[in-house]
Amino acid sequence: MDNFPILSLILWLPALGALGLLLVPRENAELARRVALIVALLTFLVSLALPFGYNAAPGDATTMHFVENLPWLPMFGASYSLGIDGVSLWLVLLTTFLLPIVILSTWDSVHTQVRNFQILMLLLATAMIGVFISLDLLLFYIFWEFTLIPMTLLIGIWGGSNRIYAARKFFLYTFSGSVLMLVAIIGLYVLHRDALAASQPGYAGSFNFSTILANLRSGALQLDTTVERLLFGAFFLAFAIKVPLWPFHTWLPDAHVEAPTAGSVILAGVLLKLGSYGLIRFNLSLFPEASRWAAPAVAILAVIGIIYGAIVAFAQSDMKKLVAYSSVSHMGFIVLGIFALNPEGVSGAILQSINHGLSTGALFLIVGVLYERRHTRDMAEYGGIWKVMPIYAGITLLVALSSAGLPGLNGFIGEYTIMQGAFLAPELSWPFLSFAVLGVVLAAVYLLRMYQNVFMGDLRNLKNQELSDLNLRELATLTALCVPIIALGLYPAFAFGPMQASVGETLAGIVTAVAGR
Amino acid sequence: MEWVIWLIPLLPFIGFLLNVFVIRRERPAGLVASGLVAASFVVAVIAIAALSGLPEEERRIMSVSWHWINTGELRVPFGIMLDPLTAVMVLLVSGVGALIHVYSIGYMHGDPRVVRYFAYLNLFITMMLFLVMGNNMLMLFLGWEGVGLCSFLLIGFWFERAEASAAAVKAFVVNRIGDAAFILGMLAIYANFKTLNFYEVSVGGQLQPGFLERVPEIIGRTVGPTWQPIALTTLISFLLLIGATGKSAQFPLFVWLPDAMAGPTPVSALIHAATMVTGGVYMMTRNEALFAASPATQSWVLWIGVLTAFIAGTSAIAQWDIKRVLAYSTVSQLGFMVAACGMGAYVAAIFHLLTHGIFKALLFLGAGSVIHGTHETQDMRKMGGLRKAMPATCWTYLVGAGALAGIVPLAGFWSKDEILAHALSHDHWPQLIILFLTSLITAFYMGRQVALIFFGQQRDSHYHPHESGRVMTVPLIVLAIGAIIGGAINLPWGHWLTDWLKPVLHEEAGTFNLALALIATASAVGMSYLGWWIYTSNAKKIKVGGKDPAYRYSGDIWDGLEEAWYFDRLYQRAIVRPFQRLGDFLASVFDPQGIDGLVLGVGVLFGRAGEQVRRFQSGYVRTYALIFTVGVVIVLGFVLMFSR
Repeated sequence: MDNFPILSLILWLPALGALGLLLVPRENAELARRVALIVALLTFLVSLALPFGYNAAPGDATTMHFVENLPWLPMFGASYSLGIDGVSLWLVLLTTFLLPIVILSTWDSVHTQVRNFQILMLLLATAMIGVFISLDLLLFYIFWEFTLIPMTLLIGIWGGSNRIYAARKFFLYTFSGSVLMLVAIIGLYVLHRDALAASQPGYAGSFNFSTILANLRSGALQLDTTVERLLFGAFFLAFAIKVPLWPFHTWLPDAHVEAPTAGSVILAGVLLKLGSYGLIRFNLSLFPEASRWAAPAVAILAVIGIIYGAIVAFAQSDMKKLVAYSSVSHMGFIVLGIFALNPEGVSGAILQSINHGLSTGALFLIVGVLYERRHTRDMAEYGGIWKVMPIYAGITLLVALSSAGLPGLNGFIGEYTIMQGAFLAPELSWPFLSFAVLGVVLAAVYLLRMYQNVFMGDLRNLKNQELSDLNLRELATLTALCVPIIALGLYPAFAFGPMQASVGETLAGIVTAVAGR
Repeated sequence: MEWVIWLIPLLPFIGFLLNVFVIRRERPAGLVASGLVAASFVVAVIAIAALSGLPEEERRIMSVSWHWINTGELRVPFGIMLDPLTAVMVLLVSGVGALIHVYSIGYMHGDPRVVRYFAYLNLFITMMLFLVMGNNMLMLFLGWEGVGLCSFLLIGFWFERAEASAAAVKAFVVNRIGDAAFILGMLAIYANFKTLNFYEVSVGGQLQPGFLERVPEIIGRTVGPTWQPIALTTLISFLLLIGATGKSAQFPLFVWLPDAMAGPTPVSALIHAATMVTGGVYMMTRNEALFAASPATQSWVLWIGVLTAFIAGTSAIAQWDIKRVLAYSTVSQLGFMVAACGMGAYVAAIFHLLTHGIFKALLFLGAGSVIHGTHETQDMRKMGGLRKAMPATCWTYLVGAGALAGIVPLAGFWSKDEILAHALSHDHWPQLIILFLTSLITAFYMGRQVALIFFGQQRDSHYHPHESGRVMTVPLIVLAIGAIIGGAINLPWGHWLTDWLKPVLHEEAGTFNLALALIATASAVGMSYLGWWIYTSNAKKIKVGGKDPAYRYSGDIWDGLEEAWYFDRLYQRAIVRPFQRLGDFLASVFDPQGIDGLVLGVGVLFGRAGEQVRRFQSGYVRTYALIFTVGVVIVLGFVLMFSR
């Protein structure tokens, strides 16, 4: 079993499913949905083997697990190289977990060109998983860019009234950020090749992340300060746009508002995490000095994002836009945790990435439930929904509180760990945290304001009096999300465990950088 | 056997789960909910009996289930404890809680959502028990926010009413402001002690330190700029104080509590009088070592308590709503407790907390009985003369009112006197005078309330008042007995409570001042009579829309008191509306036009550049050839230079 290519299986299973869907007749929507759901469930089941097979024993020398390595373009040293560690483990699982949920939700929310929708969704899943498990920079970049295509199409074809604008903005904005990253990847490759060619003539170079990292750490490849900062900046820009970090966030509300529910769930649940994952994997590992240099500035942007996103969320009347801006606020917390540059902050950021995927994904599904019934997301149209849809109201409250960081639910653990990490970081501490905790207050303000407007008060709008409570499918998707929301709130140690060694390894460069001062 | 203490919070939690997932009918819901809280009380009694069998210095039972947070250096156990301080809180919460559950069976009878009501009530008891039993700050915070959530759910229980849902959100949000400071305080505690445990605890065989024993280590440390260093102990304890002002409804965050009366009356009794709002006092008492290390914070605590007592006491005088009088009175009495904490008289604070928990629950349940018996009348102007129709309610209410007014020998007298005596013996003269005045005011408004409700003639004949059933009056009688004899737990001659809490608080019994006690009692009786007399002799003039009889003496100040010194209006104008404007500005101007405008501007710029580039696509082959050649040269040159 040791050599079984389980990562490849998880990676290509959805893509194979997409191929298989091509055989399904275009007009048979039900069959297309079922095939997609089965593929997604299968992928999830296979991926469940990852945490159980993951060897997190302390003192284990290998940092990457389930590694697969095949030559791909030997003349450039590019390889088909996959592997996961404690940073990517839960993100892969989050992706495979959300996929069946999202596909199940399309029964109620996607009614046109169903087959094509499922094909794109499965392709998107392959691309996202690929980003998390690629250990080769070129491969990573290809998957990274490939995520854009299905998502753009999902917004552009199944989106709302202004979908073309939103899709184009989403594509151009995030693409322009990543182009610089490509330049940086090639630059890093050339620098690495040249540095090693000095001692090994004829060295073809390598895009392998682990190789480059090892050579950086051993000193075989040395970057001078300016180059390191430039490379850091190029990677950072791509990831910051994806996260999105304030002030690069304006594509997000447009994309979310126009995207179909399933697209929003994946966008908030996984696509944004590509950014936080990239920051941890590449910026922190490869450029420790530059990370330290930039940390206070980035943290300022993060804290601005926390407060700004929350205030703007408060002023929204469109529920989906409210949730979209709340993402800006929450992702600010995640970036703050990452640039605390200590194990508490980074592991908190990873956990919060998962939490945000679960809670915000659930919130988008929740908004979708009402939208499907009434075709409006304007809060003024609602009020008193608690009375007609009690189960729905209960689940919404649970999810909203998880998003607002109520202790006992997942969001609090992530936020608290992040804040503790940032507090322990000598460069951040009091001044940053005094502002960041405001985000905790504001989260309660905007989420409960939404809750009050939609669910409480009198059932004054006659159109809402006949609304039916959740159907079985909706109940299943939302309950499935509530289980980890509660479990991670009470026993997060389960998720923290495998992260420890990997986060330590990620930060190793930064610790030496501190010691070297 | 330590695990047994887990039963205390878990039994009500089982009730919560049953009421959410299994039970669908009213009768089993009420019985299961009450039964499990009562069972929790019984387990608590047994556990405390076992605790008292231990030698004094070993009276602390700890039980840890698992590592809650365990990453990097951050270690927080999911654990609870039982020590003398926790024990008295647990008895209050589960004991009074059980009575209020029973009472609710009668009060909530026939409500369409009664099963959900009992589920919330059970969850509340669970969370409150976590609050007082948590063995570290984060566990305390779990309960702290958990009770906030239940408070939200129960205030908003009749969510169809706009004012109830607004009050629910207000309560949660105002509490959150305090909680943010609390979180910051926890972060600082962890950063300096590397632990959030109150006391040393063994987790999975490893000893984790506690911070309360190590407070002296941080004395002398400062933070902040060099030109204005702040003592770390002051900063941390001050942040915790802000947290307490939210939960315990102290100035300046007390505004949520009067609105919270929109919830069902038993909820007001349980959450907004007897238990949840005392969380802040409990937390400060638990962290006594931290507070004691900062005289600066302690004087803030003292003054906040004193000011709150006075502001809320004066506001209580001018209310017409039966529950709002009690709400402001609760805020005022919490001010007494906080002031006691500020003076370092923690035993007196806990003593008052316990007696107040009993007699204020009694008063609220009595008020609930009145509301129930008068068909949802809450305006005291429409009451009057209910003494005859509701004798049991009336007599128990009189006991509660007497206890609150501080009339000897009822429970409230002893505990309030202990606070005043401490102020006197420690020369806190200005504070003593204000607190004394407040206790006179307290006696006055209770006299007023009793007169308005129970004496004179019924002023509104639209309803026929009736006494409530046994399921409601029996809890009233039990609580009334408690309000009569409750003072016995810490009489000046026995001071049993002081001795019991000695392992935690290390306090000596205060001195009893006979002169003060006599003056206080005499003036309390006098002021109660005055209140009673004004409102019985003017009873005929009282009507909805008319002026209060006391208006004649006070003038327009009365309006200010009725509006609770206009704090709500101040916050509305100074904070809420500017915040809404800022939100609207950012959302509709700054974000789309400022930030996104910049982004789109960059887009347009590239678009223009594209227009220019397009000119090169002229279709002339010679132009393409030229550009191609130039390009090749550049690329070749670049490659040659780069690959040397």
